[in-house]
Parts: sequence; C-alpha cells; structure tokens
Amino acid sequence: MKKAQIQIGETIAVLFVFFILIIIGFVFYVNVIKSNIDIEKEELSQLRSVGISQRIMFLPEVQCSEDNIIIDNCIDILKLEYAQSVMKENEIYYYDLLEFSDVSVLQVYPDEAKWSLYSRKTDDFSSRFVTNVPVSLYNPATRKHGFGILTIETLFK
Amino acid sequence: MINKKAFEIQFNWLFVLVAGAAIILFFTVIVIKQKDVSETSTKATVLKSMEAIITGASVSTDTTNIIDIPSSDINVDCGRVSIGGVSKQYPSLILFAPGLIKGDKLITQTLAFSTPYRATNILYATSPQLRYIIIGSNDIAKEINKSMPSELKKEFYKSAPEIKNSNNYRIRFVLFENIIAFPKALEKLPDSDVSAVKINGDNQKGTVEFYQKQGSSWMPKGTSSYIGKQSLLGAIYADTFEAYECNMQNVFSRLNLVTRIYAERTKKLMESAVTSSQIICSQFYSNALTQLNSILAASSDFNRDNINAITASANSLASENKNAQIYSCTLIY
Repeated sequence: MKKAQIQIGETIAVLFVFFILIIIGFVFYVNVIKSNIDIEKEELSQLRSVGISQRIMFLPEVQCSEDNIIIDNCIDILKLEYAQSVMKENEIYYYDLLEFSDVSVLQVYPDEAKWSLYSRKTDDFSSRFVTNVPVSLYNPATRKHGFGILTIETLFK
Repeated sequence: MINKKAFEIQFNWLFVLVAGAAIILFFTVIVIKQKDVSETSTKATVLKSMEAIITGASVSTDTTNIIDIPSSDINVDCGRVSIGGVSKQYPSLILFAPGLIKGDKLITQTLAFSTPYRATNILYATSPQLRYIIIGSNDIAKEINKSMPSELKKEFYKSAPEIKNSNNYRIRFVLFENIIAFPKALEKLPDSDVSAVKINGDNQKGTVEFYQKQGSSWMPKGTSSYIGKQSLLGAIYADTFEAYECNMQNVFSRLNLVTRIYAERTKKLMESAVTSSQIICSQFYSNALTQLNSILAASSDFNRDNINAITASANSLASENKNAQIYSCTLIY
C-alpha cells in the first residue's frame, strides 16, 4: 500500500471516530432535551388543570353572589341545577373553557346529593388530574348553607 | 507534467478541504436548527404566559397587571392569539386588544361585565409602547381617562392640541367630541399605525365610530354601539371595528347563557315565595323574571336595539333587586 493511501485511510478513520463521538454526543443531547420536554409537558398539563379548576370555581353560572358581590368557594344550588342542562345543551361552547374534564358536585351535609355539571371525557389521554375543592352549597330558596365537595377531573392527550 | 508527489499533496489538501467543508456544514445546520427551536420555544413560552394571563383574567376582576415578557410581536385576532408562526385558537375568548402588541411588557386590565349581574369578565391587553391620545372635556372622557391604567402611554387633552410624532409603533385617538383634522406630523406614518375612535354617548350606552388613517385624512371603518363603561373601554383597546364587534358578540353569547340560569333561578324563587305566602317577594320575582326574559331575548344578537332593551331591563332589574333587599327577600343576583 502506498504512503498516500495510508494517510487517507488514517484521515478517514479519524473522521469516522470524530463523527461517531459527535453522534454519541448528539444522541445524549436529544435524550436530555426529550426528558426536559416530558417534564415541561407534565407541568403544562398541571397548569392547564389548575386553570380549568379556577375557571369552574369562578363561573358566574354557579357562583353565589349577594347584590352582585361574589362569595368565594360557594355554589348556588338553584343555579347549579339549571347550569347542568345549559352546559349540556352548549357542550361545544363549554368545551372551549373546560376541555376534556368531568365536573361534579357532591353534597355531604345536610343530605347527600350529587350533581354532574359537565362531562366530556376521552379514552385517549396521557395524563389525568383530580382536584377536590371543599365548597359551601347555598340554597337561596331555603336560605340555608350545606357543605360539599367540588370534584374536577381533567384529562389531557 | 505534474509529478506523483505533487499530485499526492494536492489530493491531500483537496480531501482536507472537502472534509472540513462537511464538518462546517454539519455544525452550521445544527446551529440553524437550534436557533429555530430556541425561537419557537420562546414564542411558545410567551403564548403559554398569555394563556395563564387569560385564565387569571377570567377569575379576577378590577385588576391591572404589568407583565414582563420576552420581546415579541403578539398578534391578536378574533379568537386567536399568535406570535410568529405559533398560534392558539380561543373560539369564545373575550379579549379587547390592538391587532399588534409590541415590546417586552404587556399591560392587562380586567373588569366585570354586569347587566346588572356579572355575566363575564372582560380582559383588555395592550402595550406601553402604544400611544393613546384622549381628547374631550365631558364627564365620560374624564372617567375613561381615570379608568385606563396610569402605566399606559396616554395623554389627556380637553381640546385638540398640536400632535407631535414621538415614534410610537401605533397611535390611537380617543375622541369624545368632533373628529379632529388629521395631524400633519403623523402624515408620513403607515396607514395601519394610526387609528381613531369617536364616542357619542354616556357611561351607560352610546355609539362608537371607528376610523383609520388613509394618507392625510381619516377613513370611516364602521359604526357600532357600546353598553356600559366596560364595553366602551373595549372599543378603545380594540383598534378595528371587526375585532370590537366579534368580542361584543362573544360577550352577548355569554350573557345569554348566564341570563338563562338567572331566569330559571328567579322562577324557582318565585315558586318558593308563593308556596311560603311571601306575596311581596313573589311580586318582585315576577317583575324581575319579565326583565330577565327581556335581557335573554335581547342578548341573542349584538346590535343597537338590543343594547337599548338590555339597558332598560338592567335598570329595572337593579331596582327590583333593591326592593327585594328592602323587604328581606332572597336577592335576585
């Protein structure tokens, strides 16, 4: 073999090793980025879940008010009863606000009762979050307060 | 004739040149790709912040925030927010904002839209780099000036002053009296950068006329109506007739849904009052139900006639609620 051919062979070998190292580095970098993206995706899902929960808590469709002054963590039962059918009739409108989620209110005191406010689920989800919020349930007809739990289950693809 | 040794050396250099070029090309491609990824990531971060702002706005009222964002150009359309190539659809979004928000700061303001019960929260967003020139001497002009955040680049004049160009990316005139002659100093600016809104009415209702610069004069772009101060502020922040109408249509859709619930609630309160022989209360609820049904019918479409109907019914409803309070009945809203 001639000297020049050996030199070219050496150069190709060096380049080959160089590119192998680059590829290993690149694969490592991609994996790190991928894991960061997964963490970010999870954080984003959590953030959206919190957002949906907040939106439900402050919906004028269910919130208690006294002379237009909002009462925090309070759900008006009379509003809630009709909001169920309004939300069902306008499912597409509320999907923009609540996405894939299931919202229900469970009264635990004085009597047990359950209202399903909104339900649009998907089987094809990658993450699921459940938020339970203790709420006061106000019945304006009797002017009595009960106690219940607002359960918000959010699903993300 | 080139000898064998010289040919070997030349070939070696040629080989090194090709290999070097391949390596440089490889790294250049990586750097360009990484730059694109980084830019898209920044845009996505800003969009994510916008989503958080929109969510925050829907749960808090009467707040003003100044938010630091990476320097970017945010395009706001009807039901769509986009930054560069990244965009997100919000079909029922109520966001009154100029078509373009520029800079590294975002000013947001939230107010409740009540007729007289809260139907939704209205979000306003703008840039501190956008110049607002308010001209008017009546009470509504003063009130609007007070209602707009002090962090905005706003100027308030009782009569038309001599306007100078202070290099803002957009200028919005808010006129409460007659339309002014187009300022000479702004004639060289692009047509899309200067707009005006002329307001006729009080803090309950009125009309808004939208104007856009065309050469050295104002070109009318459409006339619409407003209901309440919140809606009027919307006409100031949204710089096009189309954006304003679209957002108001969304406000009315929301009002319609919330009114349905209030009407049904009032019906149940009335039944309950009749059962428990609270005759006075049942009368208030019956009157309120008439007003709520009127608001329900009028909220089906955003137009001047419906605004008049809603304003009248809202006033009557507020007095029925007051009566209910005086006679210790459960309040209507």
